[in-house]
Amino acid sequence: MENLLELSNIHTFIGQFHILEGVSLSVPKGSIIALLGRNGAGKTTTLKSILGLTPPRQGSVLFKGEPIQGRRSFDIAAKGIGFVPEHRAIFRDLSVLENLRIAERQKGDFERKEQFIFELFPDLKRLIKLPGTNLSGGQQQMLAVARALVPDNELLLIDEPSEGLAPVIIEQMMAAIQQLSAQSTVLLVEQNFVVASKLAQQYVIIEEGQSVKHGRMADLVQDKATIHRYLGAA
Amino acid sequence: MDVLGTLKANRTRFITLGVLAFLFFTAVQGMPTEDWVITILRGLSVGMITFLVAAGLSLILGLMDVLNLAHGEMFMVGAYVGWTVFVRPDTFVDVLSPLLLTVVGFVLLPVWRVWIQKVPFLLKQAKFWPWLALVLGAGLLWIAYARFPLAIWNPDVYSESPITYSLALSQGNLLLATVPPSAGWPLGLLGTLLGGSLLGLAIAGFGLRQQAGTMSNHISRGTWITTAVLLVLGLVTFFINSNITDFLLGISTTARFFVAMAVATGLGFVIGGLIEVALIRPLYDRPIYQLMITLGLSFIVIEVVRAIWGRPEFTMPKAALFDGSGDGCPATSFGDLIAHQCSTILLFDGRIRTYNEVFIILVGLVVLALVWLILQRTRIGMIIRAGVQDSEMVEALGINVRQVFTFVFAMGVALATLGGVLAAPSIGLSTDMGTRLLLLALIALAIGGLTSFPGAAAGAILVGLLQQFIIKYGQIGINLPFLAEPFKPSPPLVPASTVLLMVIILLILPHGLFGRNE
Ligand SMILES: Nc1ncnc2c1ncn2[C@@H]1O[C@H](COP(=O)(O)OP(=O)(O)OP(=O)(O)O)[C@@H](O)[C@H]1O
Ligand SMILES: [Mg+2]
Repeated sequence: MENLLELSNIHTFIGQFHILEGVSLSVPKGSIIALLGRNGAGKTTTLKSILGLTPPRQGSVLFKGEPIQGRRSFDIAAKGIGFVPEHRAIFRDLSVLENLRIAERQKGDFERKEQFIFELFPDLKRLIKLPGTNLSGGQQQMLAVARALVPDNELLLIDEPSEGLAPVIIEQMMAAIQQLSAQSTVLLVEQNFVVASKLAQQYVIIEEGQSVKHGRMADLVQDKATIHRYLGAA
Repeated sequence: MDVLGTLKANRTRFITLGVLAFLFFTAVQGMPTEDWVITILRGLSVGMITFLVAAGLSLILGLMDVLNLAHGEMFMVGAYVGWTVFVRPDTFVDVLSPLLLTVVGFVLLPVWRVWIQKVPFLLKQAKFWPWLALVLGAGLLWIAYARFPLAIWNPDVYSESPITYSLALSQGNLLLATVPPSAGWPLGLLGTLLGGSLLGLAIAGFGLRQQAGTMSNHISRGTWITTAVLLVLGLVTFFINSNITDFLLGISTTARFFVAMAVATGLGFVIGGLIEVALIRPLYDRPIYQLMITLGLSFIVIEVVRAIWGRPEFTMPKAALFDGSGDGCPATSFGDLIAHQCSTILLFDGRIRTYNEVFIILVGLVVLALVWLILQRTRIGMIIRAGVQDSEMVEALGINVRQVFTFVFAMGVALATLGGVLAAPSIGLSTDMGTRLLLLALIALAIGGLTSFPGAAAGAILVGLLQQFIIKYGQIGINLPFLAEPFKPSPPLVPASTVLLMVIILLILPHGLFGRNE
């Protein structure tokens, strides 16, 4: 199978700090792949390095076979990568509709995706005129995912979608991610191992800025020792 | 959220606004009708001018976290350039061609960047040659501009000073001699083109170190189109130089004033864009340096203005539309006002000056509405509002935020230069006008909530009103209980009062009237 995204041995610095010290991973087309690791392991930084928000100093990032490291973030994103950041980053002064429209890369993107988006998140339809600042945490998370769906993104980078959400909402979010993965490949950062293991087919574990283990999720679920060692969970 | 919830969450804000409104009505109550009408109009007028400066300042600060300390000086440049177009159109037209050709060198920046990367020698010696290019370019420009027979004035000789020309125009006996073309000019033109290009190259070279590895090889079509347009315009204005001058001298002063407004605004847009690309952009990682550079720029601009227009203050005559005093004046209705082009209008027995207290406010309101519409209704406005909160996320959506930065900087400076021409006929031209206005605008911003656009407008108007009410009360006095004589606020109290208002408001609302607690 062809890899949609491939990181080889990337090193990223934030200021003086050497945060990523060799992360390699491949994301095959048409799957959900979970990026796991403890707090502070470097998961978010990996996603930001792919997008060039914290540009890697060494190593290569291939998207659809083309090197994208060193390019400006907008350029990378415009190649078809959607980003759902850790703390949602909903634009407070923009209405829900504007939060979606701003993600358009071509005129009419939103109209094309409208139906699909509202099928996934029916709540958003009713909130469409509300300013972003008035949304609840769960609604913001839905909007953040929906925003990444507006343009034709082949790859979605989703950072901790279940963080701080009530169990019912998590269920809803999981169903949505499952459904959208039929159209886009997903690189998912998820602390909640139950959520991650249900959604992803593959995993990569990061530990102190290095990718240390990867494989099929089905195998990891059996491997209590690895889970305990790297994720600290049962 | 329900209305009650909103009220509760913003309790302090509503109470503060209530107190301000109360103070305002008390101040109005203490004056005869004609006095408060004129005071409010004057306050609004000062407020609108302040707003034009504050608006750009706040957009630039909000979107790119740059406090442009040269913003006041841009206001000043607008005034001086506007004066030149209005009083000395011959000079303006003379300068136009070399200026357009110089700008070409900067517009070609992306081309220089790509070109440098193709020449190994330039890449290797990047520490050395940009300096050489800078010195050579500046020298070449100096020589080229000196070769040009620019029609200028001489601030050191009274009979040839801006003061005299202003006076001549207002008395209707302005005589300008057009200089015949001579053989040396084409060389001068070429010099400006080359000099500008060398400066552009130098900037591209200095940028090399910061942007190593992340430079794009992309030259947009816009670059080529702009270059072509500037070249053609530069040459055309050169060859029909005297025709344009004659045309500008032939039209009514009213029309020429509108031309002056358009030129100053357009020039502000270009200058703003150039400042962002050349000085601000390489330093986004180093905000303190950005601050220093804008501060340095403001000093340089002041000195340049002093060198060209001289130190003494002078006035800018009002256009005919606002200067009539013959039959039917002062006007008693707006119909009369326009029909007789009166300089004043009677309103509640008070004499209102058409230009200062009507026209400035109208233009201010139009600009306010336009900018508001751009921010709320257009895609770029949406991107600006989003970028004020989180420009990184905007970029992550695939939007070239840097381009939007340049646009906003350009637009912000354009608003300031527009403010400058607009203010010139009312407050006159002086080399400290920019600094004074910058202070006022900063106070207005702090009151309104640094990065909020409605806040900038509200803060500016508040500051204007407060100033004018205190000035008025300085003339008529306030009857205070237990005091035999009316209390008259002295003039130094005027600037102090705005600072005081700022301090009080910030103590109550640390984020200003419309700012948001982050
Ligand atoms: N701006 C910064 N300056 C310095 N260090 C940083 C910065 N941002 C992140 N780090 C450090 O980089 C490391 C990796 O951070 P990152 O956010 O990628 O972790 P993470 O795996 O996403 O953690 P979490 O699960 O808590 O979100 C952490 O040790 C963090 O302290
Ligand atoms: Mg994280």
